[in-house]
Amino acid sequence: MYRSRGVEGCPLSDIELMERARRGDVAAYEELVRRYEEVAFRTAFLVCGDADDARDAAQEGFVRAWRALPRFRSGAEPRPWLLRIVANAARNRRRGSSRQAALGLRLAEDPLSGGAAPSPEGSVLAGERRETLLAAIERLRPEDRLVISLRWFAELDEAAMSAVLDIPRGTVKSRLSRAMGRLRDEVGPDV
Amino acid sequence: MSDRDAALTAALDDLAAEILFPPTPLLADAVVASLLEPGRGGWWPRPASLARALVLGSAATVLVVGVVGAIGIGLGAIRINLAESPLPTPVGSVPDRGYGQPVSMEEAKNAVPFEVRLPGDPELGDPDKVYLAPFPSGGTVTVVWGDRPSFPADDEGIGLVVTQFRADIGPETFEKMILEGTEVESVTVNGHPGWWIEGGTHAFFYRDASGEIVDTTLRLVSSALIWDDGVVAFRVEGAPSLEAAQRVADSFR
Repeated sequence: MYRSRGVEGCPLSDIELMERARRGDVAAYEELVRRYEEVAFRTAFLVCGDADDARDAAQEGFVRAWRALPRFRSGAEPRPWLLRIVANAARNRRRGSSRQAALGLRLAEDPLSGGAAPSPEGSVLAGERRETLLAAIERLRPEDRLVISLRWFAELDEAAMSAVLDIPRGTVKSRLSRAMGRLRDEVGPDV
Repeated sequence: MSDRDAALTAALDDLAAEILFPPTPLLADAVVASLLEPGRGGWWPRPASLARALVLGSAATVLVVGVVGAIGIGLGAIRINLAESPLPTPVGSVPDRGYGQPVSMEEAKNAVPFEVRLPGDPELGDPDKVYLAPFPSGGTVTVVWGDRPSFPADDEGIGLVVTQFRADIGPETFEKMILEGTEVESVTVNGHPGWWIEGGTHAFFYRDASGEIVDTTLRLVSSALIWDDGVVAFRVEGAPSLEAAQRVADSFR
């Protein structure tokens, strides 16, 4: 796998790679894609709810971003910018699909949580709690489901969520807060 | 945060650790292939003026550097970066600078995994010098002729230089760094796409797979014709005109 290095032999930062890409360096852009392909795919998956569409949307988003590089603000963090373009591609695919967007995530069959091994009864209870919580998230309105999923499952920070949802950062906070309130109501005292 | 909120947040953290996404597809290769695919709008970021020039040119396209800013165009293993001065600073070094180690033609042919081809132009005759460099993957063979009537020697006694290396060298690239005043013309060489680079200031260097410039010579060169037949990339330097360079290329055997 190609890895870009700086002058001291250290990997180049995302910003440095972006600068190289803006100068037409395809190899630098390829490295950026490798670094972001997982979060881009997962973000697209959460937006459109289908793995094939998410793959196509992420790929399309990266190609579109390359063409839009002249408009990228020099020195800025590329992550939110790239994810915004990928999310737009995913939204377009979702609009063009008759499928009902759903979260479509599942739980690991053999949980890998750290710490001391729980008792068999404890494992069952923990598993049931997770299933209950995931089912509650699935029942939320799509907007609430998405904002919670982006925060916890795609592990996006506020800046990236703002870009993906195309809303100001302050609105991200309030939307997340309201979604959490509705999730709390949905799960009741079980979690 | 209330106890209830804290419990919900902890439960979400716990859930997130056990969530399974579909496997992430490997996107980078497909993305790069799309960028390189002809007809997809080009694979380099380009201003409208350059795009227009590329579309309008029928037999040949001339790009005048200086108005298009910093962009890159490519041809297989060769990249042409159009940039404003100054030239990039090399950060690495190679054991043999310049063209490489002087070798015999036989040694050069035995050392590289591709067929070394030479121009059959009778005026050129046998080359005066043959060099072998260990980079990029597969090595580079450089053949040099001294003063010839159609290819007058420069201050260093070099009339014409032909360089060959593998075209499928992946992330490694040879690069032309083009500065203001240089014209880059799209041409066809023996049925393959190529570029004629003329005028202004331009330098040639090698960038390794990690993206570092390792050919510290950063030679400033005269006009050059470069092309890539899909197996081997060729560079002809020193010809006084495109026509003269094309004659050299046409005579390759």
